[in-house]
Amino acid sequence: MSRDGWRKKASEDDGWGGRGGYMAAKISKLEEQFQKDAPREKQKDGTSSCIFSGVAIYVNGYTDPCADELRRLMMLHGGQFHLYYTRSKTTHIIASNLPNSKIKELKGEKVVRPEWITDSIKAGRLLSYVQYQLYAKQKGLNFTSVCAQGKQDLSSRHEPSKPSPSHPQSHSIKPQPNNTQTLSKEVLKSTHTNHTATNFTERTNHQLDVRLNGSCSIISEDDAERPRVNGIHDGDDVVDDDDDACALLPRGSQDTLLTNGYVHPVNGALKPQDSFAEHPPHVVDTGSHQSHLPQAESRDGEEPSCSYAGSKTNSHQRSLISTVSPAKQTGLYNMQKDLHPKPTSNPGTSAAPQKGNLHSQTRVRLNGSYHLSPNSSTLADSNNQPGRSGQGAEAGIISEFFSHSRLHHISTWRNEFSEYVNTLQSRRHAAGGTVFSGKEKLKKLKANCSSGSLMAAPQVRQSCILHVDMDCFFVSVGIRHRPDLIGKPVAVTSNRGPGRVAHRPGANPQLEFQYYQRKQKQYRKEKTDGDLEMTPSPHGDEVPSNGVDLDLAALSMAEIASCSYEARQAGVRNGMFFGRAKQLCPDLQSVPYDFQAYKEVALSMYETLASYTHNIEALSCDEALVDATNLLVELGVTPDDLARAIREDIKQKTGCSASVGMGSNILLARMATRKAKPNGQYFLRSEEVDDFIRDQPVSSLPGVGRSMSSKLTSLDVSTCGDLQQLSICRLQREFGPRTGQTLFRFCRGLDDRPVRSEKERKSVSAEMNYNIRFTQVEEAESFLSNLSMEVQKRLEGAGLRGRRITLKVMMRKAGAPVEPAKYGGHGICDNFARSVLLAQPTDSGQLIAAEAIKLFHAMKLDVKDMRGVGLQVQQLEGSHAGPSGQGPSRGRSIKDLLLAKQPAHSPKKDPLPQDGLPSPSSSSAFSSNQERVTPPSSPLPSTSSDPMPGTSKGGPYHPHTPNHVRTCLNVSIEVPSPSQVDQSVLEALPVDIRKQVEQTWRQREELPSTSSHLSTPPRTSSSPPPGPSLVLQLPNQPGQPCTTGIILELPDFSQVDPDVFAALPRELQEELCSAYRNKGNAQVHAQAQCSAVEQKKTFPQLKQPAVGKLKRRYKKKNTSPAKKGPSPQKKLFPGNSPAKSSPSKTLPLPLKQPGLKTENVQCPSTDVPETLSKFNPRPVPTLAGAYEFSDIRTLLREWVTTISEPMEEDILQVVKYCTELVEDKDLEKLYLVIKYMKRLMQQSSESVWSMAFDFILDNVQVVVQQTYGSTLKIS
Amino acid sequence: MATLTRQDLNFGQVVADILCEFLEVAIHLILYVREIYPSGIFQKRKKYNVPVQMSCHPDLNQYIQDTLHCVKPLIEKNEAEKVVVVIMDKEHHPVERFVFEISQPPLLSISSETLLSHVEQLLRAMILKISVCDAVLDNNPPGCTFTVLVHTREAATRNMEKVQVIKDFPWIVADEQEVHMEEAKLIPLKTMTSDILKMQLYVEERTQKT
Repeated sequence: MSRDGWRKKASEDDGWGGRGGYMAAKISKLEEQFQKDAPREKQKDGTSSCIFSGVAIYVNGYTDPCADELRRLMMLHGGQFHLYYTRSKTTHIIASNLPNSKIKELKGEKVVRPEWITDSIKAGRLLSYVQYQLYAKQKGLNFTSVCAQGKQDLSSRHEPSKPSPSHPQSHSIKPQPNNTQTLSKEVLKSTHTNHTATNFTERTNHQLDVRLNGSCSIISEDDAERPRVNGIHDGDDVVDDDDDACALLPRGSQDTLLTNGYVHPVNGALKPQDSFAEHPPHVVDTGSHQSHLPQAESRDGEEPSCSYAGSKTNSHQRSLISTVSPAKQTGLYNMQKDLHPKPTSNPGTSAAPQKGNLHSQTRVRLNGSYHLSPNSSTLADSNNQPGRSGQGAEAGIISEFFSHSRLHHISTWRNEFSEYVNTLQSRRHAAGGTVFSGKEKLKKLKANCSSGSLMAAPQVRQSCILHVDMDCFFVSVGIRHRPDLIGKPVAVTSNRGPGRVAHRPGANPQLEFQYYQRKQKQYRKEKTDGDLEMTPSPHGDEVPSNGVDLDLAALSMAEIASCSYEARQAGVRNGMFFGRAKQLCPDLQSVPYDFQAYKEVALSMYETLASYTHNIEALSCDEALVDATNLLVELGVTPDDLARAIREDIKQKTGCSASVGMGSNILLARMATRKAKPNGQYFLRSEEVDDFIRDQPVSSLPGVGRSMSSKLTSLDVSTCGDLQQLSICRLQREFGPRTGQTLFRFCRGLDDRPVRSEKERKSVSAEMNYNIRFTQVEEAESFLSNLSMEVQKRLEGAGLRGRRITLKVMMRKAGAPVEPAKYGGHGICDNFARSVLLAQPTDSGQLIAAEAIKLFHAMKLDVKDMRGVGLQVQQLEGSHAGPSGQGPSRGRSIKDLLLAKQPAHSPKKDPLPQDGLPSPSSSSAFSSNQERVTPPSSPLPSTSSDPMPGTSKGGPYHPHTPNHVRTCLNVSIEVPSPSQVDQSVLEALPVDIRKQVEQTWRQREELPSTSSHLSTPPRTSSSPPPGPSLVLQLPNQPGQPCTTGIILELPDFSQVDPDVFAALPRELQEELCSAYRNKGNAQVHAQAQCSAVEQKKTFPQLKQPAVGKLKRRYKKKNTSPAKKGPSPQKKLFPGNSPAKSSPSKTLPLPLKQPGLKTENVQCPSTDVPETLSKFNPRPVPTLAGAYEFSDIRTLLREWVTTISEPMEEDILQVVKYCTELVEDKDLEKLYLVIKYMKRLMQQSSESVWSMAFDFILDNVQVVVQQTYGSTLKIS
Repeated sequence: MATLTRQDLNFGQVVADILCEFLEVAIHLILYVREIYPSGIFQKRKKYNVPVQMSCHPDLNQYIQDTLHCVKPLIEKNEAEKVVVVIMDKEHHPVERFVFEISQPPLLSISSETLLSHVEQLLRAMILKISVCDAVLDNNPPGCTFTVLVHTREAATRNMEKVQVIKDFPWIVADEQEVHMEEAKLIPLKTMTSDILKMQLYVEERTQKT
């Protein structure tokens, strides 16, 4: 009955659903009864308390005291007693032993031994249940079996035949004494005596000593061969267990006794010590006790000794523990140092898991005190944790990790070889051309051959790329000197064992496997929602090959780095787990890594290639691209000949075979290699390309990985031919604009990537996602600092500094198993990243660490779930770059370096530092490189953007500089009229500037026409900066071919920066002047200004907006005085805020009657909504100075009605205004304007207006489309 | 004249309160005007001194409230760029998207006296515009549903995933098809500019609704 009660998924079908009401009623009735009985009971007993208020227990199975007694006790002491277990209400489950299945069910519940209650009552207060837990919280299987065993042990004895599950236990129990080895033996001795005092038998004591010595020796020997020793020691124990049958006391539990000696009194369950039957529960207990040692400690610290055994033992315990903690520091680190390389160098190795586990168990002793987390789930897990967390604490570990990491090796090689190629090139530069030995040889060969039969003369010069790829590189290098293995299935992996490993507690490979499988399935279904819904039962999900999966659990998770073609035939693939591969191919041979050999072979391969040409792009250690276009032309040989020669060369020099694919571009060359393999060559002729590529699977395209190919499969695309059927729009929609286009081109065999011998480094990073297990924030922090130092090392190595620091963290995905299937791996994770931009580029590890730690804290992550940490530094620049500019650096562009070294280039280079490029521009130049848009042919990105000194400010190359310029200009020239200036702002200005401003005003006032200022009181108004574009356009404009006729965008002369003007070349100045002169009646002013260029700050017609903008034709027609000189009316123009720079002021001019003008001008200026002008930092879009819709409307009406033929520039102004409206997110006004124009213009008798409207509308629609993705609905 | 800055602690909240209140009214009104739900479930109420329609279906109201409750923290932090009411046809292809594009201008100063009434005026105008928007929109096909999308600025999405304001009311990344409409036409309805808030409402309408 009761068991059914808490089988929660008793589900509907078995009838409980229906009887739920009954059960509920019964439970509540029982509760009532209990409450009623309680006071009576209390009276009867006399002693009562409310120790257990808030505690509700449920008794499961046999207990001592029995359930009835416990019920009574709970009544007496204010607790609750549940006859039926309810997950929500019951706080504690009391049990002395539990079957396996129940433990599983009660995962996460507090299962406590009955002693907790009795002890608490004795202590007179509620003790922490932690050390009374029947078992430590744990999910793994091992423990439960231990517990189960513990239960069995009650009656029988330790099962020696089951060492594996029980061992972790007994080992983890030992720790304490072992650890004390590092402390003084005296302490222990005294504990012994203490124990003897508490009736310990002499014999136990003796054994204890033996044990201690044993463990001492183990530790001392450990340094040399830890796992071995552990293994032996382990076996030892087993033997002991067997032999000691009569003694009935396996060492493990003996030690337990020892450690637990302290605990017992606290437990208060002091039974006669010689009763062996008593031990097993303690065995279990210690486990939990150990992992909660610190808690016990602190508790001991704060509580008065509660047990009758006296405070002596307690204090003793305290002293012991306190000695442990300092000792752990050194001990732990020492040991870990030794241990460390083992797991890292052999990721997930071999016999390691078993042994590795064991030795991490030895570590637990160090960690007992380390473990603050009450729910550090499994013991075994906790065993691993400290070892790993220790890594974080141990400096140098990270670099060690990287020096052992296979992936790291391989990834760095590419850079190394890139550099190697570059050094070769530079050598050639230095020597003025090296001898290409290979080339010479080939030449000779060719000469010989051609004497006989003339080889097909190389046709038209056609680009030809060679893709040279070593055949299963790691394998062929690995078996270079082992001819016996040739022709056999061989795999390079770190695992040399049979491919089976023991199951590690906490790991759940099936779950992970299922997860990835499901994820894959989801991809197919195009469900991107990768939520981790863990079905509790492994069979909940129908996994097709379940048998294999389950088996997988026991298989080695060491990946195969490379396997021979023979092995591939058996279905083995690179990256496959070794255990699985072994299943597929039982006679698979494994070969260890040999990094030195790889390097040698790779180097000689590159040397070979370099003996032909230096146009080499290093792809990886065994793969390179060669641009043979020139070489072939020069030699006059066919690509096939060249490839053959290269392959022979490589075979001869390295003893390994290489395949060569040839094609007219990189893509085709790589695809040809696929066909060429193994040990062959294939030239993909351009005429064959179409047929060839059509049948290629999409997955053979570069960049098409698993996820993309499954996405493509969902689109019914499996070959490139299928892919060709898709339109570029479709592809871009599915994969994004860039990838879409790339795919579109690739599937047609088009590829314009050049072979690049140098590569710009985009980022420098260090990442570690193996063996990351932290328990405390400090560990993570210190890990981060160490990682930062690694990054620093790399930055220094590359001679770079970076500004952006990105912290990437892999967190265990909620619900994923705590211990991943792969030993030390990261399992299923969520990735998070955060980055920060520094003010200054840095390569200082400390700085990076500080930022990284800040980022880390900002992410607010649980350190325990961290599985991987990476630090990346981006936005790099050369570290030699002083504040004045950036110097050449190795990492940025090798060519820079090369060229810089050569004196011939130095003059070019020199102006750069002097130029004092502001950092924004330099970084932008760099970022463009990052996007790989710089073709290699433009050799010096930085130099090419090196502008002429004079024009630099306005140069188009510096998108950032204009800001500078603009602000400078503002101060010096553009003084708004007093009415536009906020008095408070003016007052806040430095005295000299203010004087300048005031002086300008005075000057202006002296002018005849500036008599009236509309509003004398200082008005708040944004005095926005002048339109920068105009000022900047100036240098460009004259360059345009239109100087003869109309210069459309010639800004008002007042807008011209005299500095810029002065800096212009003579002829440009003249051109400009004449352009201004040509402007009819504006001529006078222009001339005046020409002369005024020298004396800046006198801009009499600053406020006269439109003069320069008028079209000649117009001006000729209307020679109204209004246009001459700054008229008072114009001064009133609201739009004369400099922000709206001249072009926008063109429109009002067509309105000829001054009266009208004033009218429509004045109204906006009077009722400017304060709110608008007040805060808007960016100028409100205005059309000819008007921004109220009514004014715009008036303007437009005037424009359309008074003029028969619109001017192009006016139309452009309207378009510009509309664009500004879109940018200003004022679609409503835009809509109104457009609709109004539509009405006006389409009504107009002139068809030009209609066309003008269409033109405007088209332009606006484009802008709207760009901004909002859809166009305006114009009905 | 009290001067507030954006740094003032509760300022973001004030804006968020005002805006969410408005959005609630607006969503109800949109549902009414676009006839997503039968008009029977709507009641006439007065808000911003103009008549509006409000649903009295408790579940619907709860949904809208919950949604806005989750949007509020985003607005407080100025992380919401757009709030979109998407009206979808039976095949869950959007036919109309009511986009509230929100930006909060940096403040220099606010006069508290005029502020509220001014904002209310602007909001009222917007509400009025919504209530007549059927004049410029084509009729929707029958059986439409609606959903609310939020375009967040920068990395706000991730925080949303992590922190559920309301339990069991999580936000999910919108389907591509909900976000993009083919051949959409854009109909600006109203733009408001006030000291605290700049918002524009426009409708993206599918050209072929049936």
